[in-house]
Amino acid sequence: MKKNNVSKYLAYAFLILLALVWLFPALFGLFTSFKSQGDIMEVGFRMFPANWIVTNYLKLLQNTSSAPIITWFFNSLFVSTTHALLVVVVVSLAAFGYTRVNFKGRDALFYGVLAISMFPSAVNIIPSYKIVDSLGWVNTYLAVIIPGLGGVGNVFLVRQFMQNIPAEYDESARMDGASDFVIYKNIILPLVKPVLIVAGMFSFVGSWNDFLWPTIVLSDVKKMTITAGLQLLQDLYGNYVMIGQLMSAAVIAMIPTVLLFVFAQKYFIDSLNLNVGIK
Amino acid sequence: MQTSEAVSTNTNAKGNKKKSFQFLYFIGPHLILFFVFVLLPIVYGIYSSFTQWNLISDQTWVGLNNYKTILLDQDSTFYFQFRNGLKNTLLFVLYTIPFQILFPLLIATVMQHKGLKFKGLFQAIFYVPGLVSASAGALIWLLIFNPRLGPMNNLVNSDIVWTAQQPYAWIVIFVMSMWGAIGGNLIIYRSAMAGVSEDLYEAAEIDGAGAIRKFISITLPSIRFPLFYTFVMSTAGAFNVYVQPLMATNGGPNQSTTVLMMYIRNLAFGSGESVAGMASAMAVLLGLVILAVSALQFYVMTKRSKG
Repeated sequence: MKKNNVSKYLAYAFLILLALVWLFPALFGLFTSFKSQGDIMEVGFRMFPANWIVTNYLKLLQNTSSAPIITWFFNSLFVSTTHALLVVVVVSLAAFGYTRVNFKGRDALFYGVLAISMFPSAVNIIPSYKIVDSLGWVNTYLAVIIPGLGGVGNVFLVRQFMQNIPAEYDESARMDGASDFVIYKNIILPLVKPVLIVAGMFSFVGSWNDFLWPTIVLSDVKKMTITAGLQLLQDLYGNYVMIGQLMSAAVIAMIPTVLLFVFAQKYFIDSLNLNVGIK
Repeated sequence: MQTSEAVSTNTNAKGNKKKSFQFLYFIGPHLILFFVFVLLPIVYGIYSSFTQWNLISDQTWVGLNNYKTILLDQDSTFYFQFRNGLKNTLLFVLYTIPFQILFPLLIATVMQHKGLKFKGLFQAIFYVPGLVSASAGALIWLLIFNPRLGPMNNLVNSDIVWTAQQPYAWIVIFVMSMWGAIGGNLIIYRSAMAGVSEDLYEAAEIDGAGAIRKFISITLPSIRFPLFYTFVMSTAGAFNVYVQPLMATNGGPNQSTTVLMMYIRNLAFGSGESVAGMASAMAVLLGLVILAVSALQFYVMTKRSKG
């Protein structure tokens, strides 16, 4: 019993120390975003602002030309939300087709699609740009919303989930004369809601945090997403002359995904396990 | 199936014919998107690697020339860039993968301790940085490592210019990348460990097994599939490293942190004349390296778990 207590305190000490290290950057960034430049330049390390100010955030709001962060924020919000909603629609339809509608070569088709999608994505970037360019989508939101919808990972996830729903559910509906679409909408969709939420949330986070692709297809400063835009900010506020504003921009960029986690923690944790097949 | 056909003939005389293509309503949208944005880019990308191309004018077929230049022509800058980029990418993989696997494994093991409270909170603290965009994280970490103003130099009382000399530049990239890279694996390991039967541990305890012995003989074998999964996925992910070195060092000092994706992007979309054919060849080679490494991991791990 006593030995157990010692090991418990050691475990706490280890976890608390580590948690502090992991929390530090986020908190340091947050507190620094409320500091004045003079406060920041002062010698020696201080975590908290000497005077709490919101000037940094106000200045960001005013910048509407060289680094319109609020515009970027809403661009990202629009892009990521639309992308996530479309993922839910496209993926649930496809998963239904691959599990509920019978057609010749269905499983072979799915596994073929899955195998091809395993090919490393590094190869896709240059030709994808050319394809998006010939569609006339460069510098439009379509370029950052649509291409990701072709991914197969979420179809795989939702398909697995749908396979576990007993066939009797739709058969009895079919006997009552329900069409495939009615079965999809009224019977299957409600049952797979949890996994669709997972797919949607991960797609939102993935889209929000995507960096390389938006910097290639969006060159118009006004169209940019916030994750990609932060790089411009780094150049613009180079040599860290406007640190407070740099930090407040970083904080603004972090808010939506962190909030999403706070409100939907359970789904995030479930989803990771769904993907590996635990549970 | 029989019943549904019976129903459709009852309600709709043309039902059967309509039915045979109905699957397209469901898989069609995804299949089209998959074709245009996954399959086509792969084929087009591989084709482009055999051409000379500036993204604007027509592609000229040059056969294996790009590959010859990249792999054999020692006087070419592309030869240097590919080697250097691949070397730096591999270094990043080698530095980060052990940490991405072993560290979450250690934390998960510590969190197995029965008396602990706040496990969900700890887990959340380690996981959330992974949801933060890498560029936002980079801005904060760069301030932490800022030579004059950053807490790092203030705390250890040094004046190291972190991003401008080695090995410090790699350390900054490592820290920045690992901040968000352990939470996902931690959650996976914890769930897997929760599924291990308590009886096994108790039986081992009766046999006098210590903590380390229990970990090696019970925990590790029981979670080997999730372990393998995270190993392969984390490795493939690490090969695509781009944001952190770009934001932290912009590839410096002396291109010692310029990873392959940076060269590929710059050759295709940089400020100079685009050499997209050459960049495509580098991308294909990177893809092949990733595939080869995944295959090797798969081979070694399946062989081991069978034996």
